[in-house]
Amino acid sequence: MDRIIEILREIHPETDYENETHLIDNRIFDSFDVVTLVGELMDEYDIEITAEHMIPENFNSASAIYALVQSLEEE
Amino acid sequence: MSFASMGFAFFVTVVIVIFYIVPAKFQWVVLLAASWYFYGYYSFNDLVYIIITTVSAYVCAALIENARIRQDAYLKDNAETLSKEDRKEYKARTKKHQRLFLICTLVLNFGILAYLKYANITIAYINMYRLKWFGDTDFIPFIRVLLPLGISFYTFQTMGYLIDIYYGKYARERNFLKFALYVSFFPQIVQGPISRFGQLAPQLYSPKKYDFNNIRSGFYRIMWGLFKKLVIADRLAGYVTSVMSQKEYFGGFYILLAVFFYSMQIYGDFSGGIDIASGVAEMFGIRLTENFERPFFSKSISEYWQRWHITLGTWFKDYIFYPLSVNKKILKLGKRLREHGHESLGKRIPIYIPMLFVWILTGMWHGSESRFVVWGLFNYVFIVLGTELEGVSARITGRLRLRESGTLMKSYRAFKTFWLMSFLRLFDINQTPSDAFRAFRLIFTDWRTFDIVKVYEQLSLPQEDFIVAAAAIVILFVFELIQRKGSVRERIFAMPVACQWVILSVLFVAVSVFGYYGPGYDASAFIYGAF
Repeated sequence: MDRIIEILREIHPETDYENETHLIDNRIFDSFDVVTLVGELMDEYDIEITAEHMIPENFNSASAIYALVQSLEEE
Repeated sequence: MSFASMGFAFFVTVVIVIFYIVPAKFQWVVLLAASWYFYGYYSFNDLVYIIITTVSAYVCAALIENARIRQDAYLKDNAETLSKEDRKEYKARTKKHQRLFLICTLVLNFGILAYLKYANITIAYINMYRLKWFGDTDFIPFIRVLLPLGISFYTFQTMGYLIDIYYGKYARERNFLKFALYVSFFPQIVQGPISRFGQLAPQLYSPKKYDFNNIRSGFYRIMWGLFKKLVIADRLAGYVTSVMSQKEYFGGFYILLAVFFYSMQIYGDFSGGIDIASGVAEMFGIRLTENFERPFFSKSISEYWQRWHITLGTWFKDYIFYPLSVNKKILKLGKRLREHGHESLGKRIPIYIPMLFVWILTGMWHGSESRFVVWGLFNYVFIVLGTELEGVSARITGRLRLRESGTLMKSYRAFKTFWLMSFLRLFDINQTPSDAFRAFRLIFTDWRTFDIVKVYEQLSLPQEDFIVAAAAIVILFVFELIQRKGSVRERIFAMPVACQWVILSVLFVAVSVFGYYGPGYDASAFIYGAF
């Protein structure tokens, strides 16, 4: 989880990732940021994120991103 | 039966009365009957296209979901005997079948759309080049078909649903007639918004109790939409067309004014139409997705496209941009660039390549002629430049000691974005890219004296109309300034009832008296209705 927050801070350092639960809905992350994040996550965790994972619910908070990474690591 | 006609007002009134009289479990049936009647009344022959889309999407969704159910049952029944690899292989096989069903249906539906939208322009290009290169005058005849009402909107909405079913995002709608209502819900069939199944369908099928607040709120929104459409958009249309058809005669100043007016016209026309659609839906207790969020206050082109025609932008983002951006080949290319020391470029490539596709397709969605593709490419170039030059822009702002979040910088950025987007619309109001470039050049080279009398006398905008248009644009601007701090309707409803009546009466009178019903008036001609 800490590493994910680190990656998120590299994209938007000013955001409070511990409490923010609407990264996409509140437009803190735009599509540029999401694609950058996905690239970083795939490199870092050696997982495959595909089109069907690209829904706001998977990227709205650090914990949602963590859950996505975990589920993909288990596959 | 246009949105801006007495016939439509009567139709909606009758449907609302029936909707709230019938038992709640039949309300969705009333909406379906009304939607099919509306579509059939508008263009009976085009019903065939919407039926093909409805049936093919329904069948495809069933095939995809049944394949998933069979897979789950098989994996459950054989949980103890199957290895991890066996399960993976079985899942991959199921996915392959599902993908085949999906692709066939996408090809059928987008194929119909492409054929109806691009066949004639393709024939025109073939004929032109045959004549130019071979002197061949044996022209291929054009196909005799008009673009069916709302086909771009309902095709995108329905195919979006199918892709979501393929991704397993929703369970499919099993009732064919309920699904048909999702495809054809009449307030949004003409020009959107392009709704998502999860947002719209549950609202369409759930029982609704009569609530005066919904009727009142919807009515205000309809009146505001009519104000934007009839008082602003239709009034300015004549001026814009006249100037653009005689650019050299009028010169730069008139063209610049036409560029400004066209931005107001298309915003009034499109967002006005959406307001009417949303207002009508609201009267049935249904909230449509918002399609506009004060786009002219945007501080960059990227932001503008998040606030203008929002549902089309999110459709392209979710179903084209994201799938392409996680495409293995594109990601590999980005990785290779990063490994060769191009760290920044390597990160941007998985964004810029999909974005290029999105903008070409967005251009094509707006029209079949080459000028729309050029328009899309210009948008793309401006967005890429805006991103690449962010650092330079920040340095300049820093040196000038200006605050990025200050009113001055915000106003400057909104002003710049508004005019960039307005100039790009020259591709929309001219027949060819070269006409658009010529108009742009004239703005900066032909500065003859602006003769206001010429506007009154020779253009379709007499003095009174000019004043009404200017006043209406100011009202629109003030309204949107207030709207930034919250819903204007909520503010009105918090006022004493007498004030509410005064405001509604003023709006009603404004639309009735100042609505533009000039010669050649055709309120059915919503610009986006033709897409």
